[in-house]
Amino acid sequence: MVLRWRCSPLLLLSLLLQSFVSADHSFENTAVVRTVEVAGSLVQVTTTFAVKALEGDASEYTIALGEREHERTSWLEAKIKGQAAILPLFEGGYDPEIGVHFYTVALPHAMKINETANLVVETVETHATYPWPEQASQKDPQSLKYETDLFVVSPYKTLVERIKFRTPTPNIHSYTNPPGLDDFTVEIPVTKSGATITYGPFNNIPITSAKEFLDAKQEHVAVHYAYDSPLVEVMKLKRSAEISHWGANLNIEDTFHLRNAGPALKGHFSRLEHQSTMFYGRPPPHVLPSLTVQLPAGIHSPYYYDLIGNVSTSHLRTSPSQGKNGRSQPSLLELRPRYPLMGGWNYTFTLGWDSPLADYSSYEKATGKYIVGIPLMTMIPGAVVDEAEINIILPEAATDVDYYPPFVPTESGITTHVTYLDTVGRPAIVLRYGRLTHKHAGVIYVTYKVPVTAHLKKPLAVATAFMGLFALGFLAKRLDISIQKK
Amino acid sequence: MLLPLLALFALPLCLAASTEANHAKLVQLAAANDGVIRLDQSTYRLLTSPRRNWSASVQFTAMDKRRRCTPCREFGPSFNAVAKAWSKVSSAERDSHFFATLDFDDAMPVFQEMNLQSAPVVQVYTATEGPRQSASGRTAISLDFSQGFEAAPLAEQLSHYTPVPIPYKPPFDWSRAATFVFMALAFVAALRFMAPILRSRWTWAVIVVLTSLVMTSGYMFVRIRGMPHSGPNGQWIAPGYQNMFGQEVQVVSMIYGTLAGGFLMLTLIVPNNLSPQRQRMQVYLWAGVIFIMYSVLVSLFREKNRNYPFKLLF
Amino acid sequence: MPFAYQLPSDVSPATVANTSSLLRIIALALISGAAIASRLFAVINFESIIHEFDPWFNYRATKVIAEKGFYEFWNWFDPTAWYPLGRVVGGTIYPGLMATSGVIYSLLHAINLPVDIRNICVLLAPGFSALTAWSTYMFTKELKDESAGLLAAVFIGIVPGYISRSVAGSYDNEAIAIFLLMFTFFCWIKALKIGSAFYGSLAALFYFYMVAAWGGYAFITNMIPLHAFALILMGRFSSRLYVAYSSWYAIGTLSSMQVPFVGFQPVRTSEHMAALGVFGLLQIIAFAELVRTHVSSKQFQSLLYASVVGMGITGALAIIGLTYKGWIAPWTGRFYSLWDTGYAKKYIPIIASVSEHQPTAWPSFFMDLQLLIFLFPAGVIMCFRQLRDEHVFVIIYAVVASYFAGVMVRLMLTLTPVVCVTAAVAFSSLLDTYIDPAEPDVLEDDSNTGQDAPTSGTSTAVSTSSPAPSLKKAKKAAAAAPPAGPLDGLVSTVTAAVSSSKKAGKPRGVFGLDTRIAVLINALGMLFFFVMHCTYVTSTAYSSPSVVLASTNPDGSQHIIDDFREAYYWLRQNTPETAVVMSWWDYGYQIAGMADRPTLVDNNTWNNTHIATVGKAMSSSEEVAYPILRKHDVDYVLIIFGGLLGYSGDDINKFLWMVRIAQGVWPDEIQEPNYFTPKGEYRVDEAASSTMKNSLMYKMSYYRFAELFGGNQAVDRVRGQQMPKVGPTLDYLDEAFTSENWIVRIYQVKKDDPLGRDLKTANAFAQGKKRKRSKPQVRRKAVS
Repeated sequence: MVLRWRCSPLLLLSLLLQSFVSADHSFENTAVVRTVEVAGSLVQVTTTFAVKALEGDASEYTIALGEREHERTSWLEAKIKGQAAILPLFEGGYDPEIGVHFYTVALPHAMKINETANLVVETVETHATYPWPEQASQKDPQSLKYETDLFVVSPYKTLVERIKFRTPTPNIHSYTNPPGLDDFTVEIPVTKSGATITYGPFNNIPITSAKEFLDAKQEHVAVHYAYDSPLVEVMKLKRSAEISHWGANLNIEDTFHLRNAGPALKGHFSRLEHQSTMFYGRPPPHVLPSLTVQLPAGIHSPYYYDLIGNVSTSHLRTSPSQGKNGRSQPSLLELRPRYPLMGGWNYTFTLGWDSPLADYSSYEKATGKYIVGIPLMTMIPGAVVDEAEINIILPEAATDVDYYPPFVPTESGITTHVTYLDTVGRPAIVLRYGRLTHKHAGVIYVTYKVPVTAHLKKPLAVATAFMGLFALGFLAKRLDISIQKK
Repeated sequence: MLLPLLALFALPLCLAASTEANHAKLVQLAAANDGVIRLDQSTYRLLTSPRRNWSASVQFTAMDKRRRCTPCREFGPSFNAVAKAWSKVSSAERDSHFFATLDFDDAMPVFQEMNLQSAPVVQVYTATEGPRQSASGRTAISLDFSQGFEAAPLAEQLSHYTPVPIPYKPPFDWSRAATFVFMALAFVAALRFMAPILRSRWTWAVIVVLTSLVMTSGYMFVRIRGMPHSGPNGQWIAPGYQNMFGQEVQVVSMIYGTLAGGFLMLTLIVPNNLSPQRQRMQVYLWAGVIFIMYSVLVSLFREKNRNYPFKLLF
Repeated sequence: MPFAYQLPSDVSPATVANTSSLLRIIALALISGAAIASRLFAVINFESIIHEFDPWFNYRATKVIAEKGFYEFWNWFDPTAWYPLGRVVGGTIYPGLMATSGVIYSLLHAINLPVDIRNICVLLAPGFSALTAWSTYMFTKELKDESAGLLAAVFIGIVPGYISRSVAGSYDNEAIAIFLLMFTFFCWIKALKIGSAFYGSLAALFYFYMVAAWGGYAFITNMIPLHAFALILMGRFSSRLYVAYSSWYAIGTLSSMQVPFVGFQPVRTSEHMAALGVFGLLQIIAFAELVRTHVSSKQFQSLLYASVVGMGITGALAIIGLTYKGWIAPWTGRFYSLWDTGYAKKYIPIIASVSEHQPTAWPSFFMDLQLLIFLFPAGVIMCFRQLRDEHVFVIIYAVVASYFAGVMVRLMLTLTPVVCVTAAVAFSSLLDTYIDPAEPDVLEDDSNTGQDAPTSGTSTAVSTSSPAPSLKKAKKAAAAAPPAGPLDGLVSTVTAAVSSSKKAGKPRGVFGLDTRIAVLINALGMLFFFVMHCTYVTSTAYSSPSVVLASTNPDGSQHIIDDFREAYYWLRQNTPETAVVMSWWDYGYQIAGMADRPTLVDNNTWNNTHIATVGKAMSSSEEVAYPILRKHDVDYVLIIFGGLLGYSGDDINKFLWMVRIAQGVWPDEIQEPNYFTPKGEYRVDEAASSTMKNSLMYKMSYYRFAELFGGNQAVDRVRGQQMPKVGPTLDYLDEAFTSENWIVRIYQVKKDDPLGRDLKTANAFAQGKKRKRSKPQVRRKAVS
């Protein structure tokens, strides 16, 4: 299983081991192109390193992340251009005085001198943008700001470097044009064309992960752009998946704490204005009247309620399931919160559904184990999940429980969960994650055994209970408790 | 050169003096006809002079027969009663609140300038100066008769504005007491003659059944709401589900009674009849009666509750 | 001996008995099923949700029990209610309901059934209605026989008069109270019948439960003494009566005093004095009886009687004296207003303002009881025919309850059981008469009376009614007995009746099959109609949880109007935990339950002044109201406004009550007449009085309402009046939230102006600045 890199816990780890990666000279970047796709709460950064080996069998390429990037980044993966295989990635340590984190990529094969390769590094940054201005009235538009360091931090020399910022709309209010760029280029350092801002090309950039460069030359740029879809954050997601063999059913229930992270509503909410903007068909971009969620295919009996009962305003378009491996398009759930979510407003709700267990599980004759694949989370498009807790409840008295999450959780463990006339209780797997993005939407595989006796536990228990009741009734009827006998 | 200054000093004094004089005048007016000043236009002005350290409750009325104001004549006595009660309190308090009545025929212009269309009206004029100046700054407050024309509620309402609550006690009703005692005695006396009747269960049966019939056909509603016996232009079914006239009580209880009677006949009396033909006839008769009355009842209910879907015969 | 139709004669009595008992059990099971099912309309049409207002508090309290346990609940002080006063909940409620569902909750969880507490609360009432049907069956069985009992059970199971208070979701005290009422009465009658202390104490036990569950326990507290007293007057004092009453009163009273909310009332208030007095009287009489058995001299007995009477009178006088001294509290207003019907309107407007305290018009009687209402008198007559002790009870119950039901709509609930019982008695005796196959001979013949006993027995068995022939015979005989018979001819026991029947053994019965069929078809048709009626009434009238409103789309599908929850949930999610919400008291419990925010006043209206304060704030002008709001730390003001949707139960329609209640406390600041037009009409349009237009309630209701209509004429759909083009303006409050259909409007109370200006001027200043920018906006509106 590929080790994928996650931020918060390993940050500590890396801080502990001060394994120092000095700038070595085994590589140079003939060309570096970074494309930053600024958007809502998720920003996708793709950096392509055209790498040239300067020494023989160089098999470990080092990439570096600046302090701020590192904090934001919740996903990092490296590939060779045009190849699907994701390259292994290791902690390279942290240099506190320059504040740079290093990661080493294990190249598929050791490179000979002057051999070149194109390395593609993809990162996803969360909470990288913030609304600006911070407040907006009901009719105002919504604009976001994104700030970052300009030059790609790398422990190697770079011949040509180009940085692009792509915004969702061509409507860009402003972008910084730093003065100090001229030492690396001769023509205009910054050009804007449509929805793209291009910095560079810059030539002959020295090693950027060096103190002198970071202090003197590293530039700080900001992009201020219009963004016209609401900025959704899921502050908390609690998923519990319950596997039932009697019902051949997999029940999944998500509890969301939704927040509109857009500009806070200025003044007060006026229903009149809301209704008129809705009526004229131009709802302000930072209002979230409803959201569409993709649910798995073949689900049935969904429910959508919050703390005070059922919410009647939701529509589900289910699509039939194609079994485990058939590619079927997902069911669409269009749900409306009780009230339109203005900037800064919260809304908590619970969403659940049943689905046939057969679509998710399979039985392995050889080992006698069941294998169930549980989707890790329900994706709300463009949203980041700040913290997630996933409970997987297995059938009663399941044994040899193993689970394989798509990537390492912050916490995990197995507890027992007692419900529905259980006698011994059911094993429940608990996983915790932080800062999940659409990239993390994986599948958790769980394997376990269920002995036949376990299946029969419940009916036996119930039967005995009823027998006891009847016996009591029988006695009570026959017993004569009157004081004087007639 | 000193004079204006002097005048300036004197001004408040003489004003005060004038209020004093007015007050004294009112006091002796009140004393003259036990507690209720009978106002005319001038005395009204006096009583309601903008600078007053007293309060007053004035009854605007039209006692004269020609005005045909029955409520006025109904209300007058209770107002006087309250005033009388007020005249009992110690003079200090008594003289700081006056009761007065203003008849339409005595001071028509006052009625006009206050454009009062209806009588009786009770206005309370609070003190504009002195310790008892009203907090809210409202000088004239008109009472509402939502609780009827009796003296007790009036006294209670007025007590909010008087320095001390009005010591009004409803007069003890000797006649009622006497009748009550008499009835009791008569009952005791008649007891031995009435004993067989009282001890026959069927007397009680009749009483009980009648009571429950009357009650379940909405008698208390009519009683409490004071509904008329029948509506204008002689309609006797009040429109609306939560509404009814006095006559409906009679009709409905009659229907209920008939239906109950029919059941009793079928159950108790008919089987005792030992000639097959007559019995058969009675059975069909009563079954028919029940069915017809029942459908009458249902149609009556449809009258009250328009969107009731079911119906029998009619 | 002729028969209208033949019966299988080769059936052994044992088989008959077993079959009938089996049938009875099945019937009862089916009845329970029907009773529960017919109360689930609300859940099916809407969802499993708590209804109306008070239930929301009970639900909240129950959650406390379920989560924190009983002791926490017992000394629960709720600081969020009646802000800033708070409320000692443990001591100011009848905990029976919450305790019941708490117990059920923990039982289910003990056997690992994780049922949501909400569902328990929602389904409690239907569940207990099944029990009510059963206890009514037991009760009626004591009066007549099983067949009548089953009929009574059916009636109480589906009669709207009871369903109205026990649909799924109406989680109120009445939900369990009626079962307790009927079962206590059953135990009482049983105890009286067989003079058993066991049933007496059982009655006491359930009486205690009743006391813990519902304020209406006073009904039992006075019914049983009344019954006992009546029996004494009828010269029916017996050791059975003595045992039953003493055991009930002693245990019942002592245990009832354990409920904190009741405390020492049983010995301190007039409501309970009747019971005490009768208890004393019984002791005296018992003593007298005892002495009489030992002493024989005539004079002494007369003297004894004199002394007994004297003691009785002195006792009564003593109670009266104590009442005057103030040792015994006089009747409470609620109770008193039942006798002096005008009392509440004058002195307790809060009680009078509640719609369910209005008198009952006959249509609602018919709506709630349908054919039972006229079977009721017939049944009472039946009770008079064989005047056993329990019949006396039913008769008294009938009179008292029918009076109460006439005075107050909500007391229809106490009338319903007795109506069902008596109606069942009447109806089943009709069925008995016409199902019995035995035909009398035309000529007199004494011998047959003896013979047709077994046949009638079997016949009843077939008709799933009583297999007790002797009892039936007794009744028939009783029927035959001349009305003005000897007083104690048929009263005391069954045997006596049988013997009397032998005396007046007049053959009676029905000739021919056609007559039978005619009558029976008629009867069954009526029953069928009754079922139709009940279903209709339940589904249309009594099954909507006033929290969620339903309307129908043009295409006929149901459209849910969910404004209340929308607004409450907004409060819950987007305001600070401690934000104080002011609203009229009707919505206090809902806000506490759904929005989970502190409220100024709520539906337990214990503090008139506090409510009047809210009323004053609502009904006076902004300048006057603002200091009041600030003094009470009010952050949000919530009002209900139906003008857009035509929802008639809104605050403008309740406004006059606010005014009246406020006037009761500040008569010289608030006057009801000022809110009417000079012509004395209650209007909200141009013609409305200035006081009305300046009142906070009016402003909050119609703030920016006219703008919603664009250029067109704004219309208030409830009042059906045309609103002025320019709506009111607010200086001291901000519109914070308005629900989708404008039913709920929430306003935030402005904090003091930072520059220390008066908010009005500050606002005017801001307006002046803004005007230029907002102009085009306005014009665009005018166009559309």
